[in-house]
Amino acid sequence: MITASSEDLYKVEKKDLFASGHRACGGCGQALAARLVADAAGENTIACVATGCLEIFSSPYPDPSWRIPFLHSLFENISAVASGVEAAYKALKKGPVNIIAQGGDGGTADIGFQSISGMFERGHNVLYVCYDNEAYMNTGVQRSSFTPFGAKTTTTPMGNTTRKKNLPLIAADHGIPYVATATVDDFRDLQRKVKTALLINGPKYLHILAPCPLGWGHTGDLTVAICRLAKATGLFPVYEIINGKVANVLKIQEKKPVEDYLRLQGRYRHLFKKGVPVKEVAEIQEIANQNIERFNL
Amino acid sequence: MNKLPLGLAVDLRNVVPYKTGSWRTMKPLNIMQTPPCSHSCPINNDIRGFLRLLADKQDFDEAWHVLTRSNPLPATCGRVCPHPCEGGCNRRDFDYPLAINSAERAVGDYGLEKHLEHKKLIPKRKEKVAVIGSGPAGLSCAFHLAKRGFQVKIFEAKGEPGGMMRYGIPSYRLPQEVLTREIEAILRLGIDLECNAKVGVNIPMDQLTQFYDAVFMGVGAQLGVPIGVPGEEARGVYTGVDFLKLVNSGKSVEVGRDVVVVGGGNTAMDSARVAKRLGANVCVVYRRTRVEMPAITAEIDEAMEERIMFRYHTNPVKIIADEGRVVGLLCVQMELKEPDASGRARPVPIPGSEAVIPADTVIMATGQAVDYDGLEVQRIDNKWISTNEVQMTSIDKVFAGGDAVLGLETVSAAIGQGMRAAEAIEDYVEGQVESRLSPPPVIYSKDLNTYYYKKSNRFQREALPVHIRLKGFSEIYPAFDRSEITREAERCFSCGLCFNCANCYMYCPDNAVKKGKSGTTYEFDLDFCKGCGLCAKECPCHYIQMTLEK
Ligand SMILES: Cc1ncc(C[n+]2csc(CCOP(=O)(O)OP(=O)(O)O)c2C)c(N)n1
Ligand code: SF4
Ligand SMILES: [Mg+2]
Repeated sequence: MITASSEDLYKVEKKDLFASGHRACGGCGQALAARLVADAAGENTIACVATGCLEIFSSPYPDPSWRIPFLHSLFENISAVASGVEAAYKALKKGPVNIIAQGGDGGTADIGFQSISGMFERGHNVLYVCYDNEAYMNTGVQRSSFTPFGAKTTTTPMGNTTRKKNLPLIAADHGIPYVATATVDDFRDLQRKVKTALLINGPKYLHILAPCPLGWGHTGDLTVAICRLAKATGLFPVYEIINGKVANVLKIQEKKPVEDYLRLQGRYRHLFKKGVPVKEVAEIQEIANQNIERFNL
Repeated sequence: MNKLPLGLAVDLRNVVPYKTGSWRTMKPLNIMQTPPCSHSCPINNDIRGFLRLLADKQDFDEAWHVLTRSNPLPATCGRVCPHPCEGGCNRRDFDYPLAINSAERAVGDYGLEKHLEHKKLIPKRKEKVAVIGSGPAGLSCAFHLAKRGFQVKIFEAKGEPGGMMRYGIPSYRLPQEVLTREIEAILRLGIDLECNAKVGVNIPMDQLTQFYDAVFMGVGAQLGVPIGVPGEEARGVYTGVDFLKLVNSGKSVEVGRDVVVVGGGNTAMDSARVAKRLGANVCVVYRRTRVEMPAITAEIDEAMEERIMFRYHTNPVKIIADEGRVVGLLCVQMELKEPDASGRARPVPIPGSEAVIPADTVIMATGQAVDYDGLEVQRIDNKWISTNEVQMTSIDKVFAGGDAVLGLETVSAAIGQGMRAAEAIEDYVEGQVESRLSPPPVIYSKDLNTYYYKKSNRFQREALPVHIRLKGFSEIYPAFDRSEITREAERCFSCGLCFNCANCYMYCPDNAVKKGKSGTTYEFDLDFCKGCGLCAKECPCHYIQMTLEK
């Protein structure tokens, strides 16, 4: 099915199809990810974006950042809209064109969830990209079902008490041909996954960890370093699921304790009383260990 | 109005983006910093610069020109320098320091092979400078002055130029041919050389100060100082300096079967290894232990490989002669006590531990001094020439540098002093009093983001097997494979200077990093940069730094 040469897939793309001038905070992981995705997909692409930071900071009239067609409808229905775009292209016998539905974690895991599930189930040729910043950031950092255990949000002031929903696996269980996770620090890998997905016919799901300096409580310069720690601790496994089989799992070169990751972020500060970790840190370590075992990181 | 493509509601082609640069409180800047290798190099060679040329373009030609901007003797230093640069290299904290010394030799050898010529910076100026001595300090000073257009004349006391490099360094370390050709290239800048002209003896100093706009003294420390034990006048007893000079001038020296060398410095190691090559059994006698030996570590290692015996804690008491010819050295065992003024442990004799070491030749390599014959200049401790901060001596317009000022130092230290004296002389004749710009701050390991560097092995030079080495005076380390040298150069972190990794360009969430016109540099688009600092954080070599927005 995949026909492009591996050289093409691994080539890094910088076309600035998602241009300067957007209103994201300095160091925003989501803004970086959105550009990497748009540049990898290329000019022949339609971006359908759900409500959320990305949509807000990239689309104020009259100077949107998108240099490709961009469509925004509602928070809950972006997959339905993308499905419609695909159906229209089919009916008009136009295309081929890359259709990428995009949303934040809230728009993906909670509010838009049923429309994504429907799109997957109906088999539309659409790539869904989730920019996971682990809370509803645009409305002021409320908890979503992607908020990790222990993290503080405005609606979980004592720290979140539930574990993060595992959407990549839920997506894969819809029987779709391609699911992948990625982080913004490894742009080569991220862009390869976008290109690979776009070569496959049918619904695809790409889950990108996108640090949010404002919501996570770190300075903008740490966005890349934090992604690396998320991988090195085992808290964010990077892998692909091709036709139902887990593949290309990124092995951890040098394992790090979760503390290294937590200590950099204000949303976990309450887990360290006078510098000493409280018992929740052990549970977060346990989550990381389970990931490491489950995906053989 | 143009017809819009399907799906577009506004014509994005005419969009004027909103300038997010106004949010910024910190601003990224490209700042070239000093790498620690250059900082530790006595000549401040642009090591990073020449390594980058090798790594990026395999351009030995240009690399030679970069290196010879400061160092006129790269093939020589690439062989004899104890390379403090490698001690400074930030890579030492990561895996192994760069093999800078080997790279320097490869570049120097390339220059000789291709007959590369030095370029003048200023064609000609009227001022004349006299340089006394053609050792590393004198040659370097003459070279830098000639490049700046001065008319330079070197006065050399001996028959051939090179100073201690010619008469003190054995040819298995530095082949005479290499030195000769590097000196010839320097002289081709239009420098006059008069040999067998000893200033102070054949030519009075006053004459030089009268006829020249400035004088540089690079007279070295060429006198061997005997230890001062009874029996030194016996035949077969030499100072290290004299012994090496005899051998290097091609005189045949009969050393006999047993040779004892006294001392632990480089002259001692050289003398011992030369004597070994002349077929003797050699023993080095030293008062302290290997740790306190001032010789270059590699020289001690190589001497040991060549099966030279070392007797530590041993001090000569008397030379034993038979009919005026040395037959042995009476020594006493020493004990180390609390450190002396030099910081080294103080040796004290153990009573009753005297013993005789049989010797057909005794070489005393325990000290050197400046030959002040006919030279009246203020000294420190009555030993070394005293100079001010711009290397001027007590005599107006007379500058000095090298071993005569520093005491016993390295070839590169002398070259560095020659270079700085040349700058001082230029300032002096121009009446320039403002000090020159000091280099930017040094980059240390803690400033780097080493995530982007991969661990790798260091280039290892191959030495000839010991039994072949000992057969003669051929160079121990045969020529290096140039492709291995360029691969080694690729290991350079490029501390403090962009090496085009494009991290800033790829990571900026605001696309505010743009490629420069050449395509190999990056610039900040301050209209859009929000000052998040991601570029600076992910810059491996600390070239990008965040500064306060004014
Ligand atoms: C149906 C609906 N509910 C609530 C909102 C308000 N709202 C706008 S953006 C947003 C948060 C989006 O969070 P997420 O999808 O995680 O994206 P992020 O801003 O974190 O990138 C919310 C709750 C809305 N626009 N529509
Ligand atoms: S709030 Fe977070 S996700 Fe939103 S623009 Fe700022 S950094 Fe990016
Ligand atoms: Mg979110």
